[in-house]
Order: sequence, then C-alpha cells, then structure tokens
Amino acid sequence: MKNKKFYILAILAIAFSSCNKELDEVNINPNAPEIPQPDYLLTGAIKNTSDTYWGTTNNLNSSLLFVQHWAKVQYTEEDRFIFSNSSFTALWSTGYAQSVAGLNKIIELADAQSNPNYKGVALVLRSWVFLLLADAYGDVPYTQAGKIKQFVTPVYDKQKDVYYGILNDLKSAQSVLDPAAGAARISGDIMYGGNITHWKEFANSLRLRIALRIADKEPTKSKAVIDEIKTEGGNYIGSNAFNAQLVYQASPQQNPVAASFETRNDYRISKTIVDKLFALKDPRLPVYASKTENVTPQNYVGIPNGSTNSEASAIGLANSSKPGAYFLNPLAPAVILSYAEVLFDRAEAAARGFTTENAEDLYKQAIRASFSQYALTGSDVDNYINQAAVQYDPGNYKKSIGEQKWIALFGQGLEAWAEQRRLDYPQLTASVNTVLNGKIPVRFIYPGTEQSLNGQNYKNAVSSQGADLLTTKLWFDAF
Amino acid sequence: MIKIFKSIALILLLFITQQLFAQNATITGTVKSADGETLPGVSIFIKETKQTTITDGKGAFSISAPEKGTLVFSYIGFKTQEIQISKNGPVSVVLQSSDNALDEVVVTALGISRQKKSLGYAVQELKGQDLAEAKESNLVNALAGKIAGVRVTNSQGSMGSSRVVIRGETSIAGNNQPLFVVDGIPVDNSQLNSAGARDYANTISDINPEDIESISVLKGPNAAALYGSRAAAGVILIKTKTGKSKKGLGIAVNSNAVLETLLTLPVYQNAFGQGSEGRFSYVDGAGKGLNDGVDESWGPKLDGRLIPQFYSKGVAVPFVAHPDNVRDFFQTGYSLNNGVSVADAGEKYDYRISYNNLKQVGIVPNSGQGKNSFVFNTSLKITPKLTLTANANYSKLNSDNLPGTGGSRSTSTMLQFTWFGRQVDINQLKNYLDENGKTFNWNNSYYSNPYWVAYENTVSQNRNRIIGSLALNYKIIDGLDFNFRSGTDYYNDRRKVRIAYGTNGTPFGSYTESAFTVNENNTDATLNFNKQLNEDFSLELLGGGNIRTQSIEQNDQSAPKLAIAGLYTLKNSRDPLISSNNLSRLKSYSVYASGQIGFRNYLFANITARNDWSSTLPAQNRSYFYPSFNGSFVATEAFDIKSEALTYLKIRGGWSKVGKDADPYRLINTYAFGAPFNINPDLLKLYPDIVGANPQLSPGAIDLNPNLKPETTTSTELGVEAVFFNKRLRFDLSAYNTNSYNQILAADVSQSTGFSSKLLNAGKINNKGIEAQLGITPIKKAFTWDIDFNFAANRSRVIELDAEKLLTNYVVASSSAQVIATVGQPYGSLFGTAFLRDGNGNIIVNATGAPATNPNKQVLGKYTPDWIGGVYNTFTYKGLSLGVLVDASIGGSIYNGTYSTGTYTGVLASTLPGRAAEYGGISYYYPGNDKTKGTVRVNGTAPAGVTVYDDGIIFDGVTADGKPNDKILPAQQYYKTFRNIDESSIFDASYVKLREVKLSYNLPAKWIRPLSLQGVSVSLVGRNLWIIHRNTVDIDPEVAFNTGNGQGLESLSNPSTRSYGINLNVKF
Repeated sequence: MKNKKFYILAILAIAFSSCNKELDEVNINPNAPEIPQPDYLLTGAIKNTSDTYWGTTNNLNSSLLFVQHWAKVQYTEEDRFIFSNSSFTALWSTGYAQSVAGLNKIIELADAQSNPNYKGVALVLRSWVFLLLADAYGDVPYTQAGKIKQFVTPVYDKQKDVYYGILNDLKSAQSVLDPAAGAARISGDIMYGGNITHWKEFANSLRLRIALRIADKEPTKSKAVIDEIKTEGGNYIGSNAFNAQLVYQASPQQNPVAASFETRNDYRISKTIVDKLFALKDPRLPVYASKTENVTPQNYVGIPNGSTNSEASAIGLANSSKPGAYFLNPLAPAVILSYAEVLFDRAEAAARGFTTENAEDLYKQAIRASFSQYALTGSDVDNYINQAAVQYDPGNYKKSIGEQKWIALFGQGLEAWAEQRRLDYPQLTASVNTVLNGKIPVRFIYPGTEQSLNGQNYKNAVSSQGADLLTTKLWFDAF
Repeated sequence: MIKIFKSIALILLLFITQQLFAQNATITGTVKSADGETLPGVSIFIKETKQTTITDGKGAFSISAPEKGTLVFSYIGFKTQEIQISKNGPVSVVLQSSDNALDEVVVTALGISRQKKSLGYAVQELKGQDLAEAKESNLVNALAGKIAGVRVTNSQGSMGSSRVVIRGETSIAGNNQPLFVVDGIPVDNSQLNSAGARDYANTISDINPEDIESISVLKGPNAAALYGSRAAAGVILIKTKTGKSKKGLGIAVNSNAVLETLLTLPVYQNAFGQGSEGRFSYVDGAGKGLNDGVDESWGPKLDGRLIPQFYSKGVAVPFVAHPDNVRDFFQTGYSLNNGVSVADAGEKYDYRISYNNLKQVGIVPNSGQGKNSFVFNTSLKITPKLTLTANANYSKLNSDNLPGTGGSRSTSTMLQFTWFGRQVDINQLKNYLDENGKTFNWNNSYYSNPYWVAYENTVSQNRNRIIGSLALNYKIIDGLDFNFRSGTDYYNDRRKVRIAYGTNGTPFGSYTESAFTVNENNTDATLNFNKQLNEDFSLELLGGGNIRTQSIEQNDQSAPKLAIAGLYTLKNSRDPLISSNNLSRLKSYSVYASGQIGFRNYLFANITARNDWSSTLPAQNRSYFYPSFNGSFVATEAFDIKSEALTYLKIRGGWSKVGKDADPYRLINTYAFGAPFNINPDLLKLYPDIVGANPQLSPGAIDLNPNLKPETTTSTELGVEAVFFNKRLRFDLSAYNTNSYNQILAADVSQSTGFSSKLLNAGKINNKGIEAQLGITPIKKAFTWDIDFNFAANRSRVIELDAEKLLTNYVVASSSAQVIATVGQPYGSLFGTAFLRDGNGNIIVNATGAPATNPNKQVLGKYTPDWIGGVYNTFTYKGLSLGVLVDASIGGSIYNGTYSTGTYTGVLASTLPGRAAEYGGISYYYPGNDKTKGTVRVNGTAPAGVTVYDDGIIFDGVTADGKPNDKILPAQQYYKTFRNIDESSIFDASYVKLREVKLSYNLPAKWIRPLSLQGVSVSLVGRNLWIIHRNTVDIDPEVAFNTGNGQGLESLSNPSTRSYGINLNVKF
C-alpha cells in the first residue's frame, strides 16, 4: 500500500514536471527577441531620436515657429501659440521611453560584453537626449530616469543638475571611447559608420555647447569644461563632412520634413527670416526657401508668423514659399551638431574670455562653414561676410553671433530656439494674434500625463521652477 | 494530466460501488409525458428499499421492488409522481409536466441541466424564437433590454460590433465581455483590430440566430465558476437546435426582409456656408481662392449671393444651403435572410441540418456583406449505453466593402461630414472623378470626394469559420455517466485594404492585406453521478478535466505606396513592403468538480472547485485553485405553503472565487523590430566600415512582469424569487458584491521611467449591484397581457491600482478626453481638460474674454450608467402576439466628439446663436478698424469709418478678479475656444429607446393543415425605432466603436440606424 502511494505520487510528479515544461515552452514569445544586440539597438536609437528631434511636434509645429524660421499657412493655431498639455508629449515619450531606454540597454550590454565603445557612443547620444529634454522643459528626471525597477515615479532634477550630470557623462564617454585599431569595434552606427574618432569629436562639441548653455549662469563651470577638453587634448568637429547628423534615405526612411509635405501642406518659410535674408542679400535664401508656385515679384515670400487662418489664407498657398528643396528632399540630413555651430561656439567662448582664440576670426569661419554646409562658395561668401551688417561687433558679440547663428541653424528648430532664448538675438516679436500677451514661448509644457502619473514630483518641479506655462523662463535663460 | 483524470475517476467509482442493492421481484414499465413522448432518464426511487434506477432511452425501466412498495418517479420539468405497486406486470406511467415555473430547468455551467430552484445564483434564459424574430444579424443585440444586468452597446447599423457586459466591468484592463459557449464549446468573440478604419463585427455574430434554441446567461462568477479563467465576466451559453424535439421529419423555411434607415444625424445649421470670417470664393479648393482651402462653415450667409463654387468653373452662382446634403449621402440599407432546415429523429438517431443565407446592404453607399452558414447536429445511439453527438457549424462571411468609420481622412464616413460646407450640393459630387480622372471635390486641401472614399477606398473581409465538436456519452451504470467532448473553433479572417492612388493625404494610395487565423480547442472528460440517495436526499456529482489550447496568428503585408494606380497587389509597390506577423499561443490544463446535495426538494447545497494550470503564468504561480458554494431554500415547499397568493418563494445565496490567467508572453521584456535602415553609397564611401543595411531594435513600451500571479475575483450573491397569485406576479431580486484583485494591468507610468507602462499585478476593483425582474400578467384570458420589467444598477469603485499606491490613474483609452480608472472613483471615469472656475463655480475668462482652461485635467464624468432596464409588454390573442420593448440606460456621460468638432467647424445648428444680429449677435467694431485694439460694443451709433460686425458674443464668465466678463468675441472665435476644453463636449449619456416592436401571427391549424403544413407564422419586426429620450445632441448616446473597455468617447461615429422588416416562417 505504501508503495502504491509512492508510485502514484511519483507518476503525478513526473506528469506535473513535464506539463510545466510544456507550458513554459508554449509561453516563449515567438515574435520578438528577449535579448537584443547592441548594434541593432544603436541603429534604432539614432533613427527614433532623430525622427522625433527633426519631426513635426518638436520641430515643424513648435520650435521652428517660435524662432520664426517657419510659419504656418493652414491650421495656424500652433503659430499663435495655442497649445495644450498634450502638445509636447513626443519629445518626452520618445526621449525617455525609446532613446534613453534603448541607450541604457546598450550601456548594459556593452559592460557585459566589455565593449567600451558601445558604452561611450550610447553615453554621448543619451547626453544629447537629456540636453534636448532639459532645454525644452527645464527640470526633468535625470538621475532616476530610465530605472523602472527602482523608480516608478522618478524625481525631477533641477535643470542645472541635469546639465552638470551630462557634462560628467560626456567626460566619461570621452575617456572610454577608444579609436585605436585594436579596440573593440561597433556596428549599427548610421551616423559615423563606427568611426570612434568622430564620436569623440561629437562628444567634445556637445560639451562645448553645454558649457555655453550655462555660461550666463555658471561662467566658472563653463570655462572649466572648456579647459578640461583642452587639457584632455580633445578635438571638436572639424569639418562639415563630419557633422553630427543622420542622413535620411528614400521612403520609407525619408526625412520627416519630406514625409510631412507628402501628405500635408501646412508650412511655409517665415516672413521674418525671408526679410532678414533679403536684407543681407544672403545667398542661402534659395537654399532655405522655394520659389512661390505662382510667379510673384519677389519669388520668395514668407508668411508672417502668427497669422490667423484667414490672414494666411489671404496670402495663399500658391503665393508663399515652401522651405527649400534641400530641406524637402527625402534624403536630407537631420543635423544634430554642425561644424558651423562649433565655430560659433568657439567664437563665443573666446568673446567671453574663456579661451584666448580670436573671436572675430572664428565668427567669420563659422559663417563660411555654414555656407559650405550648403556647398555655397566663392566671392558671394566674401562679399557677404564683408558687409557692415554682418561684421563682427566685439561690443555686442551676442547680437553678432546670435543673428548669424540663428541663420546658420535654419531647420534645427530646437537648437536655434535654445540659442535664441539664451543669446536674446535676433530679437523676435510675437504677432498680435498670438495668445501669450505678446510673448514667445520659452519652454515646452510638461506632458499632461505627468500630472496624473508622476503628480508629486511634477508638483515639486513646478513649485521649484515656476508655473507650468509656455512663458516661464528656464534656469539657463538668464536674460 | 491524464493520470489526474484517472485518479479522479477512480475516486468516483469507489464512491459509487459502495451502494449495494437487495433484490426482490422485478417491476418493469415505461414512462411517458402527457403528450405521449417517452421520457428517458426519469429517476425512479423505491421508498421502502431506497433502491433507485432511471429509465432508458425508450422510457423503459426495470427494478426489483417489494410487492407492496411505492415507486417515486421524478424528472426535471415534470411533477413528481408516486405509484403503489399493486400487481406484477408492466407499469405505464404518465408524468404531468410541471406547469410551475418553479420546476423550470435551466442550462448551467458545462451544459449541465439543473432545476432552477436548486441554484443559489441568478440565471436567465432567452428562447430561440425571441432571437430569430428579433432579426438582428449580430445576436448580441437581441439581448439588449431583455435580461437584467446585461448591458449591450451597439456601434452603428447592423454590420458593426456590439459590446456586451454583464454586471459591470470587473477587470480594469482585461476583457470584460462574457465567455460565449456554443453547445459546450467555448467560442471566440474577439474583435480583431480595425485595419482600414472599419468596425469589424465581434465574431459571435457568425452564429445564425435561426439556429439557436436557447441562450442561458450566467451572470458573473457565482454562476459560472466552473468555467474558471474566463467566468469572471459571466458566460453566455448558447444551445443550438437539434432534431430531438421533432417527431419524424420536419422541414422549416424562414425568410425575412429588413429595411434599415438613419436614426440619428447631427443637426446642422443652414444659415452660413463654407469659409472663414464671412468670406469665401472658390478657385481650386486648396487655398488659391478666398478661404477655399478652409474646410469650415464660417463663411458668408447662405442668402443666395453669387459666389464661384466648386462645380461652377469660376462662374459666380447662388450661395444657398443644402440642408440635407449629409442625409442624402446615405441610402436605405436592407437585408435579406433566407434559411431552410431539416430535422428528423428516430429511435437511435436524430439530426438537424440547416442552411442560411444573409445578404446585407448598408446605409453607406457601396457597403454590404453576405453570410452563409451551414449547421449540422446529430446524435447516434451506438449501443444502448453509448451515444455519440456531433455538431458542426460552418459559416462564411464575405464583404466587398464595410462602411468606413472613425477619423481617418482617407476612409472615414463622418469625418468629412463634420467639416462639410453647408452650401455643398452633394448631388454635384456623385460623379466623383473630374475630366482628368482625379478626385473632384468641394475641398481639395484635405479631403477626397466622399463618394471616392466610399467607392475607391474599400476594405473587404472574408471569414471562413468552423465550430465543431464530437461528444461521447457512456452510461457506466445507472446514474453514472462518462462524457467526453472535444471541440474546435477555427477561423480564417482576411481583409484587403485599398486606398486609391490620388487620395488626398495618401497621394500614392496603398494596399494592405491582413490575415488572422484563430483556433481554440477544448477537450473535456467528465464523470457525472446522479442519485436519489433516499427519500430525503438527492446527490449529483461531477468531476472532470479540461485541456485548452488557443492560438491567434496575424499576418500583415502592406504596399505603403502603389507604383501604378488601380492595381491592388502587393507587388505593385513603390516602397519596400511592410510586413509583420504575430503568433500568440496559450495552453491550459484544468481539473474540476462539482456537487449538489438536495434535501426533500426544497433545500439544496452546491459546491464547485477548479484548479487551472496556465501557460501564461510563471511556473511558480501557474497553478491556481478556486472554489464556490451556493445554496437555495424553497420556503413554499419547506413549509408546505399552498396559497394562491404566495405561490412560490425561494431564497438563495452563494460565494465564489475565480482565477484568471494573463495574456500570453507577459513575463519577459522583448524588443521591437523596425525596418532596416539602408545607408546610401555616399556614406559608405565616407565610412568604409559601415554596413549597408542596419536592422533596428527598440525597447518595448511595457515593462513586463516575470512574477505574475493569476487575477482573482470573488463574488457574493444573494437573491429572492417569489411568485404570487398563481404566477400573475413574478419577482426575482439579486444583490451581489464582487471584488476583483491582483489584476493584471499595464498601468501607464511616467515615460521618464523608460517605459510607457508597467505590467502590474495589483489593481483592485469592487462592483456591487442589484438586479430585479418583475413580471406581471394583468390579463390572462383568451387575451393575455404580460409585462416584464428588468432593472439593474451596478456601482463600481476602483480601490487601488498598485500595492505601493504610487499610481492613481490607469488610462483605459484616449482620444481628446481619456477614459481612466482612477482610485476612489467608479470605473470608466472620463478625464480631460475643464473650464477654469473660481470658488463660486463661475467660469473664469482670460484677457480676450475667452474661457480659460484649467491647467489640471479633471474627472468630468463616467461612462458607465447608473442603471439600465427594460420593459417588455406582450399582448397575445389566439395566434396573434404583439411585443413592445422599451429599454433605458440612465446616467453616465459621453464625450461627444462630433459636437466638439462640429462646434469648431461651425456646421452644427448649435453654433447659430450669436452669429448675426438675427441670431442674437452683439454689434461691435474695432477702433480705427485695428483688430489689435480689441472689440468695442456699439452703443447707439458706431464712430464713422469703422466696420461694424454683428456676430459678437460675450461668454458668460468672470474675469480673474471676479468681475463679469464684458469682452465681445466674434462668433467664430467664440465657438472655436471650446475645442480645447473637453468639459464643453461632455454630455449626459442617458437614453430611453423604443428598442423592439414585434407583431407576429401564427396561422390557425385548421387553415394550414389542409396544405399539409405544420405551422406558419408571419411577423413584423421593428428595431431601434425611436430614441424616446436623450440628453445628447447630434449623436446617438448608445455608441461603441469597438468591444473594448474604452467606451464613452464618441468620435465621429457613423449614424445609428432603425430597422423594420417582415419575417415568414413555414414548417412542413
């Protein structure tokens, strides 16, 4: 009898374990990998981040309007700053849940596979993402971000702390990135084709950008960062060939601008920049703007920012200029950080006395670099630089650099907007039809979902930074 | 697993063989019903010796009994009869059917028939005839208003989906629809995505109502615990017709025709046409003319002034309203349904074969579908002890095009009509191609011609489905049966989505093929034991096991841009094809047991227990057990009350627990593929190391949970059933309290965590409610009048979301407003932007005089109703019967997306007030005609030289410092401000509807007998005839766009419809 019981139990035990095994196997997901490869993640992270950075919500339909590069010719609500707290969710959701999450996984895999170059590249890209977030929203989660196992409701770090944090991250990226021939290689790098030297240049150029971002508030830190780079013997991006950018491909991998114009016809170039380019006889005008569809006396006609629907409609779709063919091309790049920007940054660092370089010389080089970015060379460039309105003004470097940088950053809405807020040049005015009492937005509103999903930390951020409004100035925006 | 079944069988056998018998003289006999049918399975009990037996298939029995013993015959649905054994020889017994509803037999879980009085929970049945005559092609709709606690929401017309929820939502994130079981086989009722912006019908609509004998609704876990995992939301048991009830060959022919017309449309204004700020002139409809790219109706007055329009080729023609320009787009839909069935039964067999054909044409031009179904049911008595039953149901659904829904500009029906210029003459659009073969439309900046959308951008659907089962019943000994049943539900569903070349917004068109293969298999083995233990006690026992597998496979292929126009094949693609596939599988093992002990036919105790092992849970939490208990007490029998006034009184109650597993693959995070990124040659030159094609992976949006536990629902139910005055007054009341916890839900988290959501195992929701049915028969003569009321009120409350209490909201669905589950609130809160108000509730306006938006989103209502109910009046006189069903859903809110959009676009009649002096507009001007200076009211006369406008409106609010608002806004600006304030589009969703009117006539036998017919009935049926009461404007408040939990967010839904038709049924 005892034996019988034992046998029954044994049979049951075997039956259960074989069932368990079978049930385990049924539940293995046949549709998606559980363990990713770092190279595929890297491609995904670069592509997804670039799409959102250069895409409709963060660029065409917001920052490019705020800096008056572009204007709306139809459905002009955004150009009049009519936004809600669901208007600015894309940068937050893609930035954190796609970019930061994917890059963190690359870092984890890089550590496990002892490939510091993956780690370095991921740190550089992640720092850029955090920079975009901090520039746009102000205080944002950084130290507790992307760590769901520990933090379901991440605290918002102060904007200053985010900048300091990513400066450290970039410094360590810089130190782990190893371009030596024998070092571990990376794949899936659709920006620099695995060339670690250029990643190091990009990392340093980002550090320079951040150093200047905080220069009005923390000049000592700014100088220290620039000195540190110099001490390390670091290089910056040194030619337009090695701009940090993603060059898009034919559909379906086309540039987000091209994708938008395939199905919609909402945007035109802004009258503000068209007027400026006309005034300076800027050879970049035909690059930045298309000729109007109907023949008009001027060929290039901008739409005034903040037009009402009927005002814009009165000018008409056929009598106003779309952005230039360069920008509408499906293969156009999404520029993250250009050689021209590096030169402007170096000029400003010199002007602020952080370095001993020649500010004016760098300023001119920067303008030349911007021209050569669009393959514009020759005497036009010299004539342009030599005209009085373009000449470098050492007494007001912010104006000289601000205005030229604004032109050079055409299309890079988020960066142009950050720099315009910081340098306060060019001085832009809001249309009377806008709804912020004559002000232009100086930040994004937090996604409305933060109120419900991370309410306490959201409230803390608001009480520390100021009301969650488009017009609340951010920490770096000193003037 | 088989070992487990065997050990259970062994235990049961041991139990049974202990019943020993003493022998006496043998009594034989037969048992028949009053109408002469033999009755198999009648229990026979000898009072003196406690011996029992049951009748065989021919109603015959044989039992040894003492010579002067008493035989007690009892059979479900018949009055118990005692006879004294007076002599030897065959006994002939006729059992009288118990007229008492109280001995009514109902089908319960696992298809077990039970006396209703023995059940400790509520169960309600609907007979097949009610369904067949209701003429709903989606059988779910026929339940609306008839069964207490069952809430049905129909999307649109007869081809869309319908959602059914019993006793409220018990699962925060999961499926809240009941399980459907057809002849013992669980069948799929999912609604597989909505490719091509179509509202695909939920798949239970494949079952032809003509083939249904009865529907039994098991409300909630108490009744359905034996079904386990999927019982928490209740079970709808469908029993199909068989040949059993026939005496000899019977043929039935059924034919009906139903017309379908519009029930609701938005109410449009007809005073102002297309344009903006009163100005409009057409050149190309895309911005070349004056506001001709503006697809809104803020244009000039429709007073016949001469303006070039889209069809006039630059000629100025009268600008006049076309009040029915939307209505005229729709056509009268119809459906033709023809079926024939043959049934026969002999001594050793019975069968029924039916064929049904349905052809439907929708109200949207070029929409329709066809259904063919074949059903074959048979049972064979292989040996006296062994019976084989086989059921097969094959259905084929075919549609060339289903009506476009939702808000996609290339496919939607109602999107364009909420932006439709009020001057547009739809007749000018019927020819939808211009001379160049391009879309010809009133607006070319955003839309294609609505007929182009209907005829060129089509979605076809083709579903082939088979539901089949084989069952064996073996009578081991008297009272002990072994049952084995294996069944499958298998279907293929293919959709072909065409967007034509030249469609506005999709200039190259596109073509997508979607295919689903769905399969569920269930195999059950059970042992059933029934025995009258002695005079006082009866016992029914059941033990068994189930193996279930389910797989859902989806394959999608898409040509995102066509290479050449008009050719719909995947190879005709300009860009690389986009493909995806997904396979989802699950498997579970279960063992279960149930028992009932009855005492003297008035006191019953029921117990069930089940243990599941599911593949979707981690090994350590895979096995979960859940029991239920319930009992009933029939007071009238216990106290032997035989009063006319109190005919029947029963009290019942029970407690149950059910477990529920997860969806497949919810344990370990995975990464998603993106299309490979192909580097161009230039970059390859620059970076020789680079690889040409780079696959992409991205993190998943949900942080999955390797430690998932099963969801658990416990429910307590109490009820009273009472019958008064000889059944003239019938009353049934239930109260229940259901707690669902450990809920598996992907709660949204701040994306700064790196994920959009996190799979939790924590949520807790409580539902409590009451259900009442009241039947009254005021007149019961040759003319009979029955009134059946049903009423149900459910109160839900979300108790918590996560154990750490970090999360307060779970987002169920989002459009402009959201549906959320928020802690401390009822399930299904509507959440969105609200007016900013001061302490006194006054709306605060901003500097321009427009209402300000509260920066904090608010709970604006809930979509679930406070109560639902129906009143069914039936009048019968001889063969004539009239049924009238009115049903109501009271309370709850809806976000009216049509109103929100239509207010913005100025097409709705509700945007008329203030738009001109004759509509109450205030006269104002801008000082010096400078709009930046703001509006000034004209008091007396305006200064010379300024333009005076008469469309001023002052919003009824206060300024931030509490003063009454006095800023005048132009009407267009005024109405547009509400777009961003969801609160302004929240409406009370209550409705009262005349749901069904049915007049049927059974021709008298004396008329049809000479024609050798057995029965002829004719009926006239109208459905959804009239919305008697509603508090919404512009839409039918009873809208669902799918069968998911995200209800209450109306978004440009297609108009609902009424239908009326004639039905003819002939039996040979």
